[in-house]
Amino acid sequence: MTETVLEKKVDEKWEPKIIAFLCNWCSYAGADLAGVSRIQYPPNIRIVRVPCSGRVNPYFIIKSLTDGWDGVVVSGCHPGDCHYISGNLVARRRFAILKELLEFFGIEPGRVNFMWASAAEGERFAVLIRKATKIVKELGPNTKFQKEW
Amino acid sequence: MGIETENKEIEDSIRDEAKKLLSENQVDVVIGYSQGTVPLSSTMVIIRKEEDVDKLVWNNLCYINLARYLAPLMPQLCDSEGKPLKIGIVAKGCVGRAINMLAVEKQINLENIKMIGINCNGNVNRSKIDLEIGEKEILDVSISGDDIIVKGKDWEKKFPYDQYINELCKICQVKSPSATGETCVGECQEIESIHDEFADIDDFEAKSTEEKWEDIKNSLEVCTLCYSCRQACPVCYCNLCFVDQNLPIWFGKTTNYTDIFTFHLIRATHIAGRCVACGACSSVCPVGIDLNIITRKLEKIVKERFDFTSGLNAETLPPMMDFKMEDEEEFMLEED
Amino acid sequence: MEQKILKKDEIGKLYKEFESEYNFYAPISQKGNIVFEKIENPEDIVLDYLNSKIPPKSVLFPQMEVLFEYTLDEKDVEITDRQDLDQKILIFGIRPCDAYSFELMANFFSFHGNWEDEIYLKKKENTTLIGIGCNNPRTTCFCTSVGGNPFNKENMDVFLTDLGETYLVEGISEKGKEIVNKLSWLSDAADKDVKKSQELATQAEESIVTKMDTDKIVSNLETSFEHPVWEEISESCIGCGSCAYLCPTCTCFDVIDETDQYNNRGRRIRIWDTCQSCLYTLETSGHNPRNTKIQRCRNRIMHKFSYYPTNYDLLGCVGCGRCISVCPANNDLRTILDKIEKIEKEEDEKIVA
Repeated sequence: MTETVLEKKVDEKWEPKIIAFLCNWCSYAGADLAGVSRIQYPPNIRIVRVPCSGRVNPYFIIKSLTDGWDGVVVSGCHPGDCHYISGNLVARRRFAILKELLEFFGIEPGRVNFMWASAAEGERFAVLIRKATKIVKELGPNTKFQKEW
Repeated sequence: MGIETENKEIEDSIRDEAKKLLSENQVDVVIGYSQGTVPLSSTMVIIRKEEDVDKLVWNNLCYINLARYLAPLMPQLCDSEGKPLKIGIVAKGCVGRAINMLAVEKQINLENIKMIGINCNGNVNRSKIDLEIGEKEILDVSISGDDIIVKGKDWEKKFPYDQYINELCKICQVKSPSATGETCVGECQEIESIHDEFADIDDFEAKSTEEKWEDIKNSLEVCTLCYSCRQACPVCYCNLCFVDQNLPIWFGKTTNYTDIFTFHLIRATHIAGRCVACGACSSVCPVGIDLNIITRKLEKIVKERFDFTSGLNAETLPPMMDFKMEDEEEFMLEED
Repeated sequence: MEQKILKKDEIGKLYKEFESEYNFYAPISQKGNIVFEKIENPEDIVLDYLNSKIPPKSVLFPQMEVLFEYTLDEKDVEITDRQDLDQKILIFGIRPCDAYSFELMANFFSFHGNWEDEIYLKKKENTTLIGIGCNNPRTTCFCTSVGGNPFNKENMDVFLTDLGETYLVEGISEKGKEIVNKLSWLSDAADKDVKKSQELATQAEESIVTKMDTDKIVSNLETSFEHPVWEEISESCIGCGSCAYLCPTCTCFDVIDETDQYNNRGRRIRIWDTCQSCLYTLETSGHNPRNTKIQRCRNRIMHKFSYYPTNYDLLGCVGCGRCISVCPANNDLRTILDKIEKIEKEEDEKIVA
């Protein structure tokens, strides 16, 4: 952990690795639509399909950060549109608490992002992923939270 | 009136109420605090007979949250026929809050509980005093007037009471249990909500991300992961704690700072909206870590987002057990 | 004269003699807690301390220890054992109770001669102990009741006595005598110094206030497994494990395999564990022989004061009193042992093995 974030930025070739938890019914389909419509978005995300954003346990997010992932994105259906009626509403409260606590403990706020994207919003999905990647790239690699051996 | 006088009044009221409850058979046992055998401590005692009520004390060293003994012990607190015992419990404000929280989460049945409410006047900050005294043995701690008198073999030191109590006690607004008449004898009140500016947390949050990381690291680095804080917490009653799970192992238990940090962060997410700000976690820490900023931050989050303060009554669902269509989502990523 | 004098401002000089050859561990103050850490700067050493928060077992048996590491390479697994076990270790400023705890730990890690934990035993072989006597034992100390003494020099290599302005230095073991000879710049001790150290030793022994009849306790425990006194004893315990973590003789550990799947490597580690944890005896079948607090509290006391004497003829406690001062629920060991001492034994009770 001797290199500062600033020094790492000089290495232009570094690309962040972002893990994305997408809900099966809306966001995963939205990502699929973006792909089928040939809309370009950064290839930095690795997608994990979950049945609902409410399935996303804060453990997943924190374990991703301790394993060394530079960023986390969680995406679900818009409130009111959840396939399981209220999964995303439960998740929204969880995300609110988690985001505030992560920021309070000193983890850069841009590393973990939450969003809503429906199955018909391929363009929106791409725009938001572009935005998230840009934010994480500016923050630099996740060195301080990754578990050192 | 001086702290010393207040303590005597509180102690007398505890003993009188306990005696009354036991003699009228309103309770089978009374759980309270008793004189500690080591300076700066007190111990929990279960009184079963009227003659023993004089073992109950109140001496500003009663930092354990007695509600902690309720949730896991409830199945064992039954008589020989398996009928649950009626339990009286000495309740300072935060103990009352914890009992309400446990009732909302259906871990205890309020019908079997009688709170002996008292108007708590705070608890001494053990680690602060230990730090000031250093490597000399403390032989006696007592309250005289408005001072804490700490004595050793051939030395004595005085500390002003209001500066040397727990940080959470200094700003406490629920000094006696918030409960309705049936469940509580003695001092109690009915609070609808609390007003708090959280200026201390605003100051901390104004720091940069790096500064916050360094401050928290400075505090938590010495943690030995003994889990005393989790064991002392009244709302940490899970049969299998997340950190003990091994099928699969989620988070490590090593002394690497990442593991220490993760434990405290995730425990904070689990008690968000349920923590009753009793400060027992900080008081029991063997290496003297002060977890009060985490407690205060949790209170701030649920107050500002959901207008909720834990433990004021036994009906309102805590925020993590509930959701509303109109919840704020200003933190979500949106298109520009 | 065999005994030597070390002036208090010469500790830095002593450190320099050892720092190249040994990993030098001594008590330092870390945020108000005295702990044994590797010293970089001899100014940090604190020698007039009551007793350390974390016992010096943490030097040879740290809270987290790597047993071995492995890397995966296509089909091959390469295992790397510990490479640093030959490093010499010096523990400076240890109290007699803690020095004795190393003997009890050696008994555990060699399983009474039947199996050897290489890692611990190798490190112990390479360890030298320079201890210091307790001029002012705490009220919670009871080493004299468990076969110890605040000036017990038996388990040390070199023994220091704090005479006020100077330390009296005595080589005890062969290794220790060699070390004292090597430190040729130490001045000789005068007769009055030796006399003062003997006075301090007597004073310290007489000042111990906590005394218990451990023979009676051991004997009572033989027949008290099902005694109702355990309910009373375990009432206030919160099951945190602080007593086990801070006990110099508690050696239970958990073994965990950690994997770094992204880098194809892993390691096996051991971390401190406590019998007070409700999961300690949880078996794969789901059965838990000690799933109540009473059983766990009882186990701790029986282990130290009954099973150890029965199986190894040793008391599993050194009388340091850390468990007494740190217990958050003030479940005082002295009160517990007092209750056990007072058990009235009935005539023909079976001995429960």
